[in-house]
Amino acid sequence: MLSRTIAEQALAAALRTGGDFAEIFFEDTRSSSLALNAAAIETALTSRAAGAGIRVYKGLSSVYVHTNDLSLTGLVSAAQKAADAIGSAQQTVNIHLTGAIARNIHAVSQLPMDVPGARRAQVIKAADAAARAVSGEISQVTARLIDWETDVVIANSEGLFIPDRRVYTRLSVTAVASGNGENQTGSYNPGAMMGFELFDTRVDPEDVGCRAAKQAVTMLHAEPCPAGVMCVAIDKGFGGVIFHEACGHSLEATSVAFGNSEFAGKLGEQIASPIVTAIDDGTMPNEWGSINIDDEGNPTTRLVLIENGVLKNYMVDRLNGRRMNMPVTGSARRQNYAFAPTSRMRNTFIAPGNDDEAEIIASMGDGLYAKAMGGGSVNPITGEFNFAVSEGYLVKGGKIDRPVRGATLIGKGADILKKIDRVCKVLELGQGMCGSASGSIPVNVGQPMIRVTDITVGGR
Amino acid sequence: MERREFYQKLFERAKEAGFSACEVYYAAGSSFSATVFGGEITDYSAADARGLGFRGLIDGKMGYASSQALDDEAIELLVEGARENAALIECADEQFLFAGAKHYAEVDNFNPEVDTVSVAEKLELCRSLETLAARADARLRPEAESTVFSESDNVEIVNTLGLDVHHHFNLIGGAVQPVANENGRASSGYALFYGNDPAKIDAEKTALEAAKEAVDGLSAESVPSGAYRVLLRNDVAAQMLGTFAGVFSADLAQKGLSLLRGREGERVAAECVTIIDDPHLPGQPSSTPFDGEGVPTFRKEIVSAGVLKTLLHNLKTAKKQGVSTTANAVRAGYSSPVGVAPANLFIQPSNLGFDDMLDVLGDGLLITDLQGWHAGADVVSGDFSLPARGYRIEGGRITGSVNQITLAGNFFSLLKDIEAVGGDLKFPVPSAVAFGSPSLLLPALSVAGK
Repeated sequence: MLSRTIAEQALAAALRTGGDFAEIFFEDTRSSSLALNAAAIETALTSRAAGAGIRVYKGLSSVYVHTNDLSLTGLVSAAQKAADAIGSAQQTVNIHLTGAIARNIHAVSQLPMDVPGARRAQVIKAADAAARAVSGEISQVTARLIDWETDVVIANSEGLFIPDRRVYTRLSVTAVASGNGENQTGSYNPGAMMGFELFDTRVDPEDVGCRAAKQAVTMLHAEPCPAGVMCVAIDKGFGGVIFHEACGHSLEATSVAFGNSEFAGKLGEQIASPIVTAIDDGTMPNEWGSINIDDEGNPTTRLVLIENGVLKNYMVDRLNGRRMNMPVTGSARRQNYAFAPTSRMRNTFIAPGNDDEAEIIASMGDGLYAKAMGGGSVNPITGEFNFAVSEGYLVKGGKIDRPVRGATLIGKGADILKKIDRVCKVLELGQGMCGSASGSIPVNVGQPMIRVTDITVGGR
Repeated sequence: MERREFYQKLFERAKEAGFSACEVYYAAGSSFSATVFGGEITDYSAADARGLGFRGLIDGKMGYASSQALDDEAIELLVEGARENAALIECADEQFLFAGAKHYAEVDNFNPEVDTVSVAEKLELCRSLETLAARADARLRPEAESTVFSESDNVEIVNTLGLDVHHHFNLIGGAVQPVANENGRASSGYALFYGNDPAKIDAEKTALEAAKEAVDGLSAESVPSGAYRVLLRNDVAAQMLGTFAGVFSADLAQKGLSLLRGREGERVAAECVTIIDDPHLPGQPSSTPFDGEGVPTFRKEIVSAGVLKTLLHNLKTAKKQGVSTTANAVRAGYSSPVGVAPANLFIQPSNLGFDDMLDVLGDGLLITDLQGWHAGADVVSGDFSLPARGYRIEGGRITGSVNQITLAGNFFSLLKDIEAVGGDLKFPVPSAVAFGSPSLLLPALSVAGK
């Protein structure tokens, strides 16, 4: 682990040329991955990665240097490299770090690295067997169990020196159903910020396998989705990816600070239907997108983004906070030490409303019921987004008619937010990996079932 | 500890632990990137990174483990980790380590001049990208996020059977994203260049290309839903090929995840389509004299005039199918296991110019951007449904700009339907596995619009 004296020397070196703030992010990660294919364990990997990233600010300029030479010489040399890039002035800065302790709100009872291989294999094989048992049409199942534990220390020139541990476990199953020369897939990938107790408390591996397999079989018998503008009901859980893509990214300071967002300059304005309240919450115990402290060392928070349709907050990191003259929101994140942190989402969801799921379908006439979502993407500048419906059903006369495949939802974030006319009572979260400027990080998306009055559906 | 000394100690310790043969895959490199916005440097990153993947045969199984530290503690972690991992493996496929070959091709993708471009020159290039793009039209905002990046990488594979190969490559590139505004409407453009000859960098060309895309997008409109004749521009066609390239992997085919399984010798594409993997293309960061198992690489046709000639193999998949490896073993990184992938996979270009292609298209859509590949395209089924941007074409001429539509189809049908292949081969993105294509003409793709 990083010692306080080494951190002090590295930070002092980083500020040598006139920088006004320096930070060191030290990381030591142990990870493992077990993959099953054709009902047999095919790969087992373990990996250890350790390194540090050093960041220096001078006003609004920022330099980031990272290395995996963790010796005193290695870190000081990286710090000097950063210092040389940021300026040429000379100053001597003395750094005194005071140790702080991050409050652990995500208890872990079974560290993944302590779990015997055979027990891990059991989990993945149970998921596989359950998927295969769903139907004779299941032709292949791939499953992966991944876990990692990361110890970090974040120290900065304001005197902060704070360690933290993050533990993650996730099971992913993809099932393939085949028939008539066609393949269709279904997948389900639950995970949490916890250890192996995930499989005793929250996730039943057999259920994971079943859900993936049922989706694949349903899609094998689905017809291509017709294209057009439709009323769309989006189910709870991973359906929240629509908010993540269509709005969440545009509320990150990374976009807002540069005017690269359709929501820039709109704090206090009505940007969504009054039934929409949206929250980004890093404090939910053991959730996939939760943290104790962010990757700048700030305590995590629960942040209301939109309240009754009114824009309340952006997600702000330290550097963009300088640009925007706004305080940080404890949501600066990064994939690992190779990335400078920036404002990112955590557990981001639409809060529960007052509507009922059955009524949403019954009152929609003709439209699309999007039961399961794939991922999506967005251009924050224009707000144009797209996302794939991995399990969809056509609705006719208020009744679910038949499954359809290949549907894509496209539109603009600002338009969609205003067209939400129902928000149900039951909130569910879904797990995803979000890729952006500071790499790929675990996030939860979420919502109760919602309805959008009209949205362009891509199909054929 | 010096690297070679580390290998030696690691191999000795592995032998003691019961490994019959073992290998290290070492990757090290330095990288740089800087971003400018409004003339200010908003992002600056520099790094030296390294990592080592160890794998070895024990009781007929291949165990893997990796580490970024190369010290005595790492030796124990690697050997013990790989031993425990090997014991978990149930898959009965025969595993191989390669003993090395006499001859490896000379591959020209390292240019010492790339490593001598100074930071100041890179920042200047970054600023000029922004200025050139932002000045191209009065409707463009003065700030345009621009980025310059460079990297220089070494890969080395050494094993106890005698294999000892290494390769060094580098590249420099940049990208710019201008934004146009008019009547409350915003539109962004993006263009990227890369290569390994600093003398050939043409910042102006990239900047103008991105600026045009941003400005053209201002007047873009949706089109009525229906089936359209479509010209996929070269960069979009290359992304399409890259997204679905997994279907050519023997590994995925053997796992029942590719619909091309067992279809060698059959027609899988239109006669005008020949698909080649050439690992020796000069200046491509993805070119390499040896694959992820150390086997000498070579150029091969995967699809010849529409007929599937071979899938891509590594030693394991080849043995399983009773054929020779096509030297397409790949390791996505030092910590990744051996998989299968091409080096530079591309559709062979014709002699047709871009304007000729527009003429042949007649009436339809020119697609210049498809988004959301990771969500809207499924390699196993071949289905795709993706948001698109482009131009309306009437009588072979551009008559308007198009967005807010999705383009849907199936990759396997698309290959068979290709009506014409252009002459404008392009590898749009620098990547460890690169994909290239000329523009492709499709007689009918589904468009969802207004």
